[in-house]
Amino acid sequence: MTWASDPRVTRFQRRGPCTSEEDARRYLADHVLPHPWYRAICVDGRPVGSINAKPGQGEERFKASIAYRLAYQHWGRGIATAALRAAVSSLLEEWPHLERLEAIAEVENPASQRVLEKAGFLREGLLRKYVMLHGKSRDVVMYSLLAAGPKLR
Amino acid sequence: METSDPAAIRRFFQRAEVTDIDVCRVLNSILRVKSQQRQEARASCCSIIKAKKMAEERREITLRRFDLSDLDDYMVWASDDRVTAFCRWDSYTDKEDLRRYMRETVLPHPWFRAVCLGGRPIGAVSVELGAGCDRCKGELGYALAAAHWGRGHATAAVKMAVRSVFREVEGLERVEALVDVDNKASQRVLEKAGFAREGVLRKSTVLKGRTRDLVMFSLISTDALVD
Repeated sequence: MTWASDPRVTRFQRRGPCTSEEDARRYLADHVLPHPWYRAICVDGRPVGSINAKPGQGEERFKASIAYRLAYQHWGRGIATAALRAAVSSLLEEWPHLERLEAIAEVENPASQRVLEKAGFLREGLLRKYVMLHGKSRDVVMYSLLAAGPKLR
Repeated sequence: METSDPAAIRRFFQRAEVTDIDVCRVLNSILRVKSQQRQEARASCCSIIKAKKMAEERREITLRRFDLSDLDDYMVWASDDRVTAFCRWDSYTDKEDLRRYMRETVLPHPWFRAVCLGGRPIGAVSVELGAGCDRCKGELGYALAAAHWGRGHATAAVKMAVRSVFREVEGLERVEALVDVDNKASQRVLEKAGFAREGVLRKSTVLKGRTRDLVMFSLISTDALVD
């Protein structure tokens, strides 16, 4: 609830802030628990954020997209970067058919862009008006990490 | 065809290959309309016929909806390995499979058009529209019969398609196209049509069993089309 109800955290998320415990409970039950890959980010054993990976459907199973969010009071300490690195390791091991991990960060979210860069993702380009967020189309930066290691183009 | 709806009449004549005499005969004998509506319908049909004839004479590119009667023309490019080399689907070998694809996917599709030269289909152009968080964008796809390559027809078709789709689809702000890094001809089509090259998405698709890098192109509704 701590981070999910914080507009500073949900600013760049499709879902708006959680408004009630009931809302959060339902989200956990309907979305988080049955999700193909959803993990809590823990500091001293307590959840301070989450990270998830969504694999492509059918023929696109070789790629997955990653998203993460962290409670505001834990920002600025390298936690998201560490969580992302750990998630990448796990995913490459658990899904041997995986060739590409991708993530998008809004143009207006340089903190998240830095997390991706520090975790070894390569910036591929700026995609204009790529997603709708809170009723408006947004420009995002596309990042990817290849299972086969970095390839310079 | 029995209808008094001018829009339905328009659609009928857009698909059919008719002469002015046919237009009058059809209107007088089949349509049960009030005389004023008949005048409007006839004027509308005549202007469409005229425009089509001019396009034919100038061998111009036009776009229209497909009909099952286009099957043979469609088969020309759909069965050609040169055309399908960079397509996610394989060349058709059986016309019945293509007929089924036309009936189940092409005809009911929200945005799928025949690219016509002199009124006859020489290719296809489509836009896959997104939903929910993706409703601001659409993905462009196109294919052209190899005999007609190298003459600017694909560029013309793409320009016409994006103009139409931005006008017709509410909330659409971005049309994107993903092109194989090795498909230089198609990349040139998009550049000539005014698309911006945004970057290379590495290993983002599987083509004929191999993962491929794709170049992402986009056109935003506020971008000016290169004319």
